[in-house]
Amino acid sequence: MSAMLDLSLRLLAWLVLAPLVPGVINKVKAWVAGRQGPPVLQLYFDLARLWRKGVVVSTLASPGFVIAPAVAWVAVVGAALLLPLAGAGAPASFDGDVLLLVYLLALARFCTAWGAMETGSAFEGMGAAREVSYAVLAEVGIITAVLTLVVQSGSISLATMFAPLPGPSSALLAVGLFIILLAENCRVPFDDPNTHLELTMIHEVMVLDHSGPPLAMILHGASVKLMLFAVLLAQAVLPLSELPLPASMGVLALAVLLTTVAVGLVESLTARLAFRRVPLLLTIGFLFCLFPLLLTWMGDI
Amino acid sequence: MTSALLGAAALALVLACALGARPRLWLGLNSLGTLSGLGAAASVLTGGRGWALKSALSLGGENVFLALDALSALFLTLVCLTGGLGALYASEYWPDDHFPGSAPRGRSWWSALVLSMGLVLTCANGLHFLFAWEAFALSAYFLITLDRERSEVRRAGWLYLAASHAGTMALFAFFSALAAGVGTWDLGPLRDRPDLAPLFWLALMGFGVKAGMFPLHIWLPSAHAGSPSHVSAIMSGVAVKMGVYGIVRFSGWLPVPDGAGWTVLGIGCASALVGIVFAMAQNDIKRLLAYCTVENVGIILIGLGLALLAAAHGHPVWGQVALAGSLLHVFNHCLFKSLLFFGAGSVLHATGTRDMSRLGGLWRTMPWTAALFAMGAVAVSGLPPLNGFVSEWAIYQGLLKAVAQKGETFGVLPAVIVLAGTGALALGAFAKASAIVFLGAPRGKTSGHAAECGPAMRAAMLVPAALMLCVGLMPGYFLNMVQACIAAWTPQWAASAPPIPARAIGGAHTALACALVAAAVFALRKVRAGGIRRGPTWDCGYAAPTAHMQYTGGSFAGIVTGWFRWALRPDRRIRRVRGYFPESALALERVPETVLEKGVGPAARVVMLLADAARGLQHGRLHLYILYVFLGVTALGMLVFQGGM
Repeated sequence: MSAMLDLSLRLLAWLVLAPLVPGVINKVKAWVAGRQGPPVLQLYFDLARLWRKGVVVSTLASPGFVIAPAVAWVAVVGAALLLPLAGAGAPASFDGDVLLLVYLLALARFCTAWGAMETGSAFEGMGAAREVSYAVLAEVGIITAVLTLVVQSGSISLATMFAPLPGPSSALLAVGLFIILLAENCRVPFDDPNTHLELTMIHEVMVLDHSGPPLAMILHGASVKLMLFAVLLAQAVLPLSELPLPASMGVLALAVLLTTVAVGLVESLTARLAFRRVPLLLTIGFLFCLFPLLLTWMGDI
Repeated sequence: MTSALLGAAALALVLACALGARPRLWLGLNSLGTLSGLGAAASVLTGGRGWALKSALSLGGENVFLALDALSALFLTLVCLTGGLGALYASEYWPDDHFPGSAPRGRSWWSALVLSMGLVLTCANGLHFLFAWEAFALSAYFLITLDRERSEVRRAGWLYLAASHAGTMALFAFFSALAAGVGTWDLGPLRDRPDLAPLFWLALMGFGVKAGMFPLHIWLPSAHAGSPSHVSAIMSGVAVKMGVYGIVRFSGWLPVPDGAGWTVLGIGCASALVGIVFAMAQNDIKRLLAYCTVENVGIILIGLGLALLAAAHGHPVWGQVALAGSLLHVFNHCLFKSLLFFGAGSVLHATGTRDMSRLGGLWRTMPWTAALFAMGAVAVSGLPPLNGFVSEWAIYQGLLKAVAQKGETFGVLPAVIVLAGTGALALGAFAKASAIVFLGAPRGKTSGHAAECGPAMRAAMLVPAALMLCVGLMPGYFLNMVQACIAAWTPQWAASAPPIPARAIGGAHTALACALVAAAVFALRKVRAGGIRRGPTWDCGYAAPTAHMQYTGGSFAGIVTGWFRWALRPDRRIRRVRGYFPESALALERVPETVLEKGVGPAARVVMLLADAARGLQHGRLHLYILYVFLGVTALGMLVFQGGM
């Protein structure tokens, strides 16, 4: 019974808190630009409005057009639930659950690409192609980061994997994971979540034709994914497991907030990258994950 | 029990070979044969006890010795499964009305192929193994060239035959050397003979050709793409696995040399990466699936290589997981690749083309095929909650455990990274294949009047789909089944308990599947309740696109093929737009089988040139021949004389 309660509480936390993250980012951007900006809770209002709306569906689209966002949303939320939360541990933990997390995100990606291709639009096809291609580099980076943690902790389960890394490795890994966070969550410099009408878009262009409740699922799923990466980043580089439960939760929340602010700052202070440089930056992200792996491996021999 | 079932299977299949001209009777006999074979395999796999038959009957001077242990039973399951389903599929896909000549021939060879593959798995005598292997290779050749009026098919068949025999040559050497070393042709575990270890390289070479591992895969894409789809399914799902079987079998029975583990791991990584990159670049849907087979064989070999490493260094913990994943992937790949080839065949049947740039929007006319193909695509990309994830997850687990242990496993790190990249690329390749073919608007006239396939073809696709779901949701049963095979591979590991958390992944998958179905149903209901308006694709207000403006397979894969241009070496023909009133523009891109066309082909041409040059020595002038003989005898004499001194 307590396990069910624990799971429901976590689910609630993820679902309710996640839309705050984009709100904070937008607030930071507005603050840097000297504007007032939309309220932090704007995404909640948007979601509520979208949820009540009807949908317009392309004549070409199959029922998969509606199913795909739902499946993607479940996959992302499932991945988030697998993640331990600092001292609170993970609700279900087994050997190799980290791979389930990575592949659930891949399932979400498959569904998003599928939904985009449903409409037969070249624009959305372009987005889908870019998404699946750049994800190769991002996924390789994530697995490299996971390898670093595995080598450091000697464990292949998420609950015990986040062992404290030595300082330099930790800093390098933070940079690498941050770059991957930006790429996987369609933030500047890879993508610009504020506009759809650019030929250099990746993720945003895939959801052009969605509307109503499916669009709400996509937007909410995106915010959960952003928070998931922030939580992952924080736990991978901070020695949270050494703190008592309340302190570790506090530090985790603070770290997620800091990451969010950092995303906002990056978004305010840098321009979007020239399109052909995107793989280059992702490769740099991968290298930032690779060096701590090598350091960790060497450090022990 | 097992003897009776196997005897019935063999009898039914022999009769089926003979009765290829009578479709219904053949289908009945073939189904009976494969079902009894399946029963025998299941009884060995679940009972755990092997079966052996030593007969006094002599064939070619050797007594018949048949055996079936858990490992060969696993592969026999594949043979019987696809052997039965493919026959069902063929009865609708390759009917007598359309192919009066080749349909009866195809049926006979089909049963012959199933029978000979069964014999390969049961023969425990090297000489008979070679007979069965040859019969298997030949019946596969006649099936590949079923549609032999097309020159493309004849070329593919010829290439297959040549490659297959190159492999068989290595196997002849392997079995002869083995028999010479042991003193008998009978096969069995010989783990305490380290002097036999170098023979592993011969086996790897010979079986590797059949397994389609890089760079010996040159025959595979054209043979799989050109043959009828049920033949592609059995070739890709099962015949290729016979090569894998050989490697697994003899690496278990014989001691292996020191470098074997690393070599197999390296070949696995190369096959996986090269296979999926080439798959991504294909425009022909069956060629795409064929290259994906190379990728999956690579994944299987990664697991096997890791198991060999673990055996060499004495680490059952990760060796067992990796081998379990590898063997389960053999089974899984057979399921989803049969499904995908059946699906591709159904598209080909309905539209008459394999070229993805002419297809599109088929979900409307072929909803069953579209849904099942999408399911296969999800499984082959290794996504939860289907079976592909279970086996890839087990292999990953073995890799990660090896890494966690540190020490001598530094070389495993690149393998993990390659596997991650392969997984992501496979997702791209199959998002492309399923989306381009089934979604969007029809790109050519062909897709317009397509029709859904009939009940037999649909049933042949539904069975593997259901099994895929079973493996995904109840991996425990199947991992137990594989556990028996591991005991047959190396008895030392049998004592240690299976360290695979199958229950956990099964539970997670079941929960996920329930949540996915619930969410999908809920979303559809919610959207219907809120009201659906249909309109043209919005596309930022561009309201009148034509079907030709959609993204094609080539453009979808463009980014990845750009990264790997150095390996793919595509042939391009571009006529650019010129002037103010441009007439016509053109961009054609074809990715060749690079190893064959840029590597093996030129090398073969050099050999032919040398051979041509050597033919000048044969001119029919007798006096010069006498001179050759004289020179030869003189040289020999001098050699002997020198030696005598």
